[in-house]
Amino acid sequence: MNNLKLSRLFLYAILITFCLVYMMPLVVMVMTSLKTLPDIKAGNIMSLPQEWVFDAWYKAWGGACTGITCEGVKGYFWNSFQMVIPAVVVSTLIGAFNGYVVTKWQFKGSNLFFSLLLFGCFIPFQVILLPMAAVLGKLGMANTTMGLALVHVIYGAAFTTLFFRNFYIGIPDELVKAAKLDGAGFFTIFFRILLPLSTPIIMVTVIWQFTSIWNDFLFGVVYSGADTQPITVALNNLVNTSTGVKEYNVDMAAAIIAGLPTLVVYVLAGKYFVRGLTAGSVKG
Amino acid sequence: MEQTITHSTTSNVVRLSFADRLQHWLPKIVLAPTMLITVVCIYGYIFWTALLSLTNSRFLPSFNFVGFAQYEKLMDNDRWMTSIANLGIFGVLFIVVSIALGVMLAILLDQNIRQEGAIRTIYLYPMALSFIVTGTAWKWILNPGLGIEKLMHDWGFESFKFDWLVNSEMSVYTLVIAAVWQSSGFVMAMFLAGLRSIDSSIVKAAQIDGANLTTIYWRIILPCLRPVFLSAVIITSHIAIKSFDLVTVMTAGGPGYSSDLPALFMYAHSFTRGQIGLGAASAMMMLAGILAILVPYLYSELREKSSE
Amino acid sequence: MATLDLKQIRKTYPKADQETLKGIDISIESGEFLILVGPSGCGKSTLMNTIAGLEDISSGHIVIDGREVSQVEPKDRDIAMVFQSYALYPNMTVYGNIAFGLKIRKMPQEEINTEVQRVAKMLQIDHLLDRKPSQLSGGQRQRVAMGRALARRPKLYLFDEPLSNLDAKLRVEMRHQIKRLHQQLNTTIVYVTHDQIEAMTLADRIAVMKEGEVQQLGTPNDIYSAPNNMFVASFMGSPSMNFIAGCVHRNDAGQPYIEMLDSNQDPKQLSLPLAMSEYEGKDIVVGLRPEHITDKVMPDSDTLTRLELSLDVLEPTGPDVIAMFTLNDQEIACRLAPTFLAKAGQVVPLSFDLSKAVFFDAKTEQRLDIV
Repeated sequence: MNNLKLSRLFLYAILITFCLVYMMPLVVMVMTSLKTLPDIKAGNIMSLPQEWVFDAWYKAWGGACTGITCEGVKGYFWNSFQMVIPAVVVSTLIGAFNGYVVTKWQFKGSNLFFSLLLFGCFIPFQVILLPMAAVLGKLGMANTTMGLALVHVIYGAAFTTLFFRNFYIGIPDELVKAAKLDGAGFFTIFFRILLPLSTPIIMVTVIWQFTSIWNDFLFGVVYSGADTQPITVALNNLVNTSTGVKEYNVDMAAAIIAGLPTLVVYVLAGKYFVRGLTAGSVKG
Repeated sequence: MEQTITHSTTSNVVRLSFADRLQHWLPKIVLAPTMLITVVCIYGYIFWTALLSLTNSRFLPSFNFVGFAQYEKLMDNDRWMTSIANLGIFGVLFIVVSIALGVMLAILLDQNIRQEGAIRTIYLYPMALSFIVTGTAWKWILNPGLGIEKLMHDWGFESFKFDWLVNSEMSVYTLVIAAVWQSSGFVMAMFLAGLRSIDSSIVKAAQIDGANLTTIYWRIILPCLRPVFLSAVIITSHIAIKSFDLVTVMTAGGPGYSSDLPALFMYAHSFTRGQIGLGAASAMMMLAGILAILVPYLYSELREKSSE
Repeated sequence: MATLDLKQIRKTYPKADQETLKGIDISIESGEFLILVGPSGCGKSTLMNTIAGLEDISSGHIVIDGREVSQVEPKDRDIAMVFQSYALYPNMTVYGNIAFGLKIRKMPQEEINTEVQRVAKMLQIDHLLDRKPSQLSGGQRQRVAMGRALARRPKLYLFDEPLSNLDAKLRVEMRHQIKRLHQQLNTTIVYVTHDQIEAMTLADRIAVMKEGEVQQLGTPNDIYSAPNNMFVASFMGSPSMNFIAGCVHRNDAGQPYIEMLDSNQDPKQLSLPLAMSEYEGKDIVVGLRPEHITDKVMPDSDTLTRLELSLDVLEPTGPDVIAMFTLNDQEIACRLAPTFLAKAGQVVPLSFDLSKAVFFDAKTEQRLDIV
């Protein structure tokens, strides 16, 4: 029996060690952001701040240099929100309707369409970057927030459709058939029957889309301009500009600001996040 | 009598037909925008990029066709060949370490741990962060001089050296560390779900048959998880091939281009160095890479399904 | 083969208010087929898991063939188990599944081969040795699961509801196969089921369990004709035993009887055996199985009552007709000859054979012993 206790202890020890490993970068980021530069140079990444100061945070928010302008990241933080919210709403809506049609109103070619769309989840986006840039230019949407949001909607639709399709496949067809017999039409069935049942998948899709779009960098760096960049692009500029002294505390504060929204969403609604990870893996 | 009947049936037929027809077309109408966008923005654009790769476009797209010249240039390009080699090193290490770590953590977590929910949350939170944030954090931690090297010195290990970020031999390995930290939680979550879906009576039967815990895991449980292994490989290799954010912020491909990756190569040549044709060719090569993994996988899945 | 002794087995799950097993005492002879039967939640599967060593006991002793094994690991108890879900290793062939336990015990390859062939022939699965479990039918999988157990030649076999996942016809076939194997090999078996027909047909002895306690341990015949209490009486037998409650009276001739009201609220008297006189004035429950209420004409005796009653529902089953009538506002079942011509609502004479009745104390529900 003692053998059992010892191995349990060992088990917990390993698990907790890994917890510390996973937490370490976050802890280092926070601590570094609360130190002064001399403090950073004097100590090491694990040492506690000599004095706890928020200077780096003020600078990151309002005064740090991201390329040519030195106005901190607050503008770009709002840019991200302006871009993310419409993109999430529209891509989720599209996904819901598409998923609905593909599972409950199948017609010749609807399955083929779904397979073609699914492929869009797997392509490396490098193959569409150049054409998309050209098209956005022609539409006059180059370097605009709207343009960036549009790109996210277009390429997010594949994922959101996948999520809704996998969910609606689990809802018995009999429900829809009964409604059709009762005389309900296409939109009525969607709004009165399927939508009320869709809360779990809407949560999953919204959280997943919010996280992916907020965290995106590739589309952001290609399709936005100096004024319209999302915070991920601003953060990269901040960290990699080589003018003057490197202010590591400001870098860390800016990184935390950039990561906070998705982290908060994860902490509050983590279970939907996890479901999203596995929602894509149901094959049919 | 007869006249009234035929009269009413014909008018009924006309009324039904219109509503019916609308209902019949609505689904197609709803799907049409996405269908259009898919065809244009996925397949159309791929075709367009393929065309571009056959031209000698520089700062602007031109339609001067030069056959496969860009691809030949790619093969001769030392930076591209480095990026491919790096992708190999980064990819393989990232996939193997993430999966090994993920499987181990999943097995440990499956042992009736009291605080399982909290521990799982901690292992998974890195996935909620952007690769830019992750890259920034690790760039600082691995900072030569002020990061982990200084920490070890302060803790007494005077001769410890960690300058990988600025060392052209080792720069690509820093990417592995950051990427594994970010994604191993996800692999763990996949395997935990897989472990939980195994019938517990199989484990009981093995216990009675006399197998010890290691044998049970190695000969029975892990083989049952083959589909999960496959999914994990597909997903991690997908992440590896598309890696752009992490390398941009952590090393910008440097020092020099020692840690360059294909995605960064493509971006640099298409948007900064005015080599659109070359960039397009590199993008098509990336697509080929993904297809090389995806197509056999889909083929084997379909074959299994049809033989059942 | 081995004996099995369970002495005062108790088990409480951590964080549970109640004991799951409340002191189980069962002794089985070598070669005996014991069946644990009872409703869901009675503890039979838990008891089986403790015998196997898959779960701990809080107190008590488990002795297999004279050897105390309560603290011993499952693999060292020399037992084999067949599970309800078969629990075959999905990634191994039928051969691999049967050979697995033997390989672990480091048996030489040739012996393993001989053993697997022997068992496969016995169960008629020798043509399936190269297949994987996913390619087998339910019945075939069950036989492979049994083969895996047989190959180990253990001292004790444990079966945990092995037939529950099979369809009705297959269940009957497999039941016969299990019975034949037992007769052939004379193995000691502990078998869990919730199906009382399986219990009656397969067991040498049955332990009827309820809420963690053994209500009665006896041969199928004992359990059927002399149940210890009303729970056991109602659990075994289908349609179940009829229970007629009443107070024991004595008429002027000294004959004990109880009074009942038929469907028209007319009083009828049921004569009881003379020995019941000692319970005069007591509230009792008369337990009478449907086959002891018939249309047969029998010689008069003090234990036979003939009553005219109206039939509510008739269910022809083939070998007989099960009819329901009302007494004391309760539905009572009786068995009539298959050729019995009657319609619902018809009044017919029925014979109640109380020599076969079992009497219970109305309050304690325990059987009353009569001399």
